[in-house]
Parts: sequence; C-alpha cells; structure tokens
Amino acid sequence: MSASTGAIRQSRVSRGAALARLALRIGGRYLARSPRLLFASVERRGELRHDLALRSADEVAEELGSMKGVLMKLGQMASYIYEDMPATFRASMSRLQQKAPPMTPALAASVIVAELGAPPDQVFAEWDPLPFAAASIGQVHRAITHDGRAVAVKVQYPGIARSITSDLRNVGLLRRIVGAAFPGLDTRSLVDELGDRLQEEVDYVREAESQELFARYYDGHAFIGVPHVVAELSTSRVLTSELVSGASFDELLGWDQQERDLAAETIHRFVFRSLYRLHAFNGDPHPGNYLFHRGGRVTFLDFGLTKLFTEDDLAPLIDAVRFLVFDKDYEAFRAALERAGFLRAGAPVPTSVVVDRFGQFYGTVLQDAAMTITPAYASAIVRRFFDARGPLAPYSDVPRAYVIMQRINLGLYAVLGSLNATANWRRIAEEIWPFRNGPPSTPIGEAEAAWLSKKTEKVLKN
Amino acid sequence: MDTARLSPLEPLARAYRRAVPEHPADDGLFGPRSIVWRVNRDRCFPLAGMRSLMVQALHPLAMAGVAEHSTWRRDPFGRLAATSSYLLTTTYGDTASALAAAAWVRKIHTHVRGVDAETGLPYSAEDPALLLWVHAAMVESIITVVQRYGRALDDGDADRYVAEMVRFAEIVGVPTADVPTTVASLREHIESVGLRQVTPAARDAIGIVLDAPDLDDDMRELWRDLGQVAVGTLPEWAREMYGFDAPPAELMEREPVRQLLGALDLAFESLPGVLEARQRIELRTRA
Repeated sequence: MSASTGAIRQSRVSRGAALARLALRIGGRYLARSPRLLFASVERRGELRHDLALRSADEVAEELGSMKGVLMKLGQMASYIYEDMPATFRASMSRLQQKAPPMTPALAASVIVAELGAPPDQVFAEWDPLPFAAASIGQVHRAITHDGRAVAVKVQYPGIARSITSDLRNVGLLRRIVGAAFPGLDTRSLVDELGDRLQEEVDYVREAESQELFARYYDGHAFIGVPHVVAELSTSRVLTSELVSGASFDELLGWDQQERDLAAETIHRFVFRSLYRLHAFNGDPHPGNYLFHRGGRVTFLDFGLTKLFTEDDLAPLIDAVRFLVFDKDYEAFRAALERAGFLRAGAPVPTSVVVDRFGQFYGTVLQDAAMTITPAYASAIVRRFFDARGPLAPYSDVPRAYVIMQRINLGLYAVLGSLNATANWRRIAEEIWPFRNGPPSTPIGEAEAAWLSKKTEKVLKN
Repeated sequence: MDTARLSPLEPLARAYRRAVPEHPADDGLFGPRSIVWRVNRDRCFPLAGMRSLMVQALHPLAMAGVAEHSTWRRDPFGRLAATSSYLLTTTYGDTASALAAAAWVRKIHTHVRGVDAETGLPYSAEDPALLLWVHAAMVESIITVVQRYGRALDDGDADRYVAEMVRFAEIVGVPTADVPTTVASLREHIESVGLRQVTPAARDAIGIVLDAPDLDDDMRELWRDLGQVAVGTLPEWAREMYGFDAPPAELMEREPVRQLLGALDLAFESLPGVLEARQRIELRTRA
C-alpha cells in the first residue's frame, strides 16, 4: 500500500470510527433502556391462536407428529428454492405455516420444569406465560432473569424432537412425497440435506453454538446485531438469549426509501460477510427473522439452520466470481461451476449459454455502479434459477453442500427486491471478497472497517 | 402436494366444510363431550373407511344393493365423499341436519331393492338385517383401526363408542334392541351372520378401493400402501375369503403407518376449508 492510499484509508477509518460511535449511541438507546421497559416494548403477536393452544404432548404429536411438522418444514424450505411451485400449493403451504397453535401456559411451563429444573416463575424473576412469537418447533416467551436481563426464551414443543427424528428416518416416504410435490427436483440431495438441517434444528444446543458464533463475531458491529445466548438458561429444548426490540419487516416497508436502502445494505453485508469471512451461513432468510432499527442497524435472529462451510466448499464459488467478474475467463468460469457441482462436466452446451444462464446470478456485481434490485428483477432471478425448460436444466443441479446457500441467496433477493433497494452492490462485495479486500465504499462500510480494525487490535493484544 | 394432484380428495374436503356447521342450532345427536365426537375425526379414518368397505362388501346382498344402485363405479371418490359427509353431518351437525340427512338416506333406500344375481336372493336396503350388517362392519372397523393406529382409545371408551353409535343405526331404521352395545357383542354379531361370501361384484369393488383411479402416480403409490395396511387389519376370515396374503409385519407397524396417514392428512388439510372445519369442532369441544 502506498503512503497516500494509506492516509486515505486512515482518514476513512477514523471517520468510520466516529460514525460507529454515533451508531452505537443510536443503538445505545435500546441498550440503555431498563430491562422492564424492553420487556414491555416487545409486544405479543395478536394472531397466535391461544383458543386452540396445545394442552399436552399428545396434542403436539397429533398436530405436528407423524410427518406433519417435517413435511411442513420441508415444504417451506423447498418453496424458497423451487419457484415453479404451483400457486395453489404455495397458498396451502402458507396456510399451514400459520397453523401450528401455541402451547398452553401450563404445557410450556412443563417444558421449563423438565429442562431447567423448576417452574418458569422460579427460574426467572419475571415470566410472561403467553408467548410473544411462534418459532418453527416451539414458541418464544419474554422474561427477566434474576440478574436483571430482559431475555427471549424459546421453548420447544415437548416430544417434537423425538418424532422429527423418527419421521426423518423414513426417507423413502419423504422422497416420494417431496418428489410428488416438486417434480423435477433432485429429491435425493434435497431431502438428505434439508433432513440433516432439520435434524440439527431440533437441537437448541447446536443452535445456541451457532448463534454465539455469529454474536461473538459481530460483537461491537455498529449495524449488525446478533443477540448473545444466556448459556446457563439454555438446554437442548430451551434457548434463552438477549431480548431485542425493533421494527418488523412490515414496519420497515412503511419507512422511507433511505431507511430501506440502509437496511438492505446491512442485510447484504451480513450475508456475504458471514459466508466469505466467517464461513457460516444462516439459512433462514425469512423476513420475520430480522428486527430493524433506524439508521440501518439490523438485528438477526434464529440460527437454527446454520451451515458451516470449509475452504474447499467455498473455493470453487470464489473462483467462479473471480473468473467471471474480473478475469472474464469464461472457460475457467464454467470449469469452476463444474467443480462446484452446479453443472455436469461435459454437458453438450456452448459456454456462451452457460455464461448467459449462470451469469445472471452475478448480475448485481458485474458492473461498478449503483443498481436497484426491483421486485421484478428479484423474481426473475428466482424464477430462472430452477427453470425446468432452460437449455441447461438437464445438466444443472444443486449440490448438497449448497442447498442451504441457494435457499438464502434466493431468499436474500426476495428480501432486497421487496425493499426495492439501491446500492453499488459490486463495491460492497469487493470489500468483502477475500481476494479483493476493497476499501470501504459507504458509511456503513466505513463503520465496518473501523469495527474490523478494532477487532484485529483485540486479537493482536490477546 | 400440489392441489391439482389432490383433486380426487376435493369432494371429500367439500363434504368436511359443509358438514361442520358454523352456527349449529344445538349440539346434535352426540354432543361435544361424546366419544363419537372424539373418534369420528381421528386422522386414521381413511384407513378405517377402506377396511369398512372391505368387510361390508362380504355380504352379497349389501354388495348387490351398492353395485346395482349406486354411481360409485363411475365416481368412487364422490361416493366416498357422500358417505363421509353423512357420517360428519350426523356427528357434528345439529339435530335437524342430522335427522334430515338420515331421512334422505331412508328415502333413497326405498328404491334400492332387487334380486342378487349371484345368490338368487331378493334384497332391500330397508332390510334392518342388512342395515345392521353395514353398521356393525363400519363401527367395528373404526374401533379396530383407531385402537391400532389412532389416538389413544382404551377398551372402556371403545365400548362407550359402540354404545353411543347405536343412535347412528337407529336413525336409518335399525330397531334399537338389535344393535350391539359393546365391542365384544359387535364382533359376535358379525361372526354370527351366515351369509358371508365374496361375489364378483365385491372383488370388482375392492379392486377399485385398493387401486383408486384418477390418482396421480405418486399419490397412487401412497394410496396402495394404505390399502395393503387396510388388508392387514382385516379379520382372518375376511382376508381368506378375498384370498389376500397377510402383508409383511413391518408394513403394519404403528409408526410408519401413522407417518403415511399424517402425510395424507396434511395434504387433505391443505385443501380449502378443512382446517377451519376441524378448528370449529375443536373449539366446541373446548367450550
């Protein structure tokens, strides 16, 4: 690095640091609030059907056991990566997703007793017996710990872990059903990969580890927040983490475009930084898993579907970017896709077609310019992804290791599209790509650089 | 599953929506606290229904009445929906709807008469003995299948169910005194019926039940598996009459059968109105 660019970077970093302090002050408004106020500010969702609450493990089994929970979840996951799904099926999936009723306060309390050894009103200083949110195989209660922290306590349905394990073992039936619902998909790798992830999702200890991995990595980040886990109040069926209050995705849609652009940038940074730098993917791009704060700060929730990648998993993806975007070496790009397993080697298709079809997924980073991800653009990408009629369809696949990544990628486009977000995505990506290490390109990028240098200092000191 | 593939189940879903009233005038023939309310919405009813048909068809005169006077062959799922609709209306409908449905069935029955070609015997759908056969075969099948694959139903509750269902036989014209009130006497009654044999009409009908037409390939496979399980739950005499082999034991295990039923039930529940109808029933049992 020359002296002059070093100076520029230096001034950027200090500007970034000032911005980070500002952001922290904004964020601090939440942190400074008393736990009691925070507890009160997280409101219960109205649409939970308490009148139909599940009263016993037997009722849970009837509602979600015997393949029902597993299939709903697989259907939900597959729906992210299968755009050709008939609208009727999509509608029925969304109906079913809203269906699982909460537990009664007594049933939820019985899980706390079984897991933490005492009823919730003893384990916690304060406990809201009614959940404020649904979780995929449980529900979330707000509480205050004896040492005065406001927390969100995710409580798993009793018996569901055992029944999901048993249902996932019946792969023959699962493949037949998923094959019937999503004709043309490689059901073997889909069911195997999603089954593995679902199996992991029932173990909250694993989720707690993933969440802490993210929380520790992003500690001190001015724009990306991940609540820490309260380990001593967490088990394989109960997950206690810091309670955070923020706006929902629907509320964000009512904010002005500048706020939406900032939020989109933060989400984009979170996803790419997590993948390229932390080698971890949080596979649930559901807008319900984000909480939004003014000025671009986003809190990320729910790490049940985290996938960790090895260098080897990522290498062909990084190669593909490099060859397509920078070297413009299309044969090498094609070879990288083949190495990753996206394209069968030796497919009788000209490379120009490969570049045309796969290149569209790099559309946001091909040009060094601001670009708006419109809803139409996002849905075109998603639609073409699994285009069963395309010339490459017979030779394209989603390798097992990337099933989750595709899911979040497409989910990410859907989210950015509904925000109608504008940014120079290429510049942001260049900051994050490990082979570029580009300079900060936005105020959030400067705050991020400041956070990174502080992080490095910390590591060097220790 | 894509709902287009489920179209054969559509009439069944419609039956569910219509039979469970939004604003019932009263609690109907059985009431929300009855065992009948609990059992008649068990998720293993498709299996109970298949087994019922297989047993019912082994009375040549009951079979002749169906074979010669019903549209079932042209529209088996429509027929299944009509039967289910009757059971659901008499269970969850208010008293007036239940009795109106029964009156309609009795009226149709006045036209169902003739001579069975196979045995040469005359038959009438108004014959209390035939009505009792159909009732007994159905109630016994429900008990057998629910106890094996459904939600917990102990022997005491099974007897209560049989006793409560006497009302169900009465309204179509079976004299109350003739209707068994316990599981044991129900089984005894079935075994005491002398005229039990498999006719060509019965073979034809059961062939269609086991391999339903109009089903998409993938659904069809699931349906066939379910049919094999239904065969496995038949009493030995019935299975031998049809000449069916006993299915392998692993096919009959509770867990995989419940998984199969759960998958089908989820598909069924995704059809419009089914979930809501079930929620209406559930809310009334909690009231």
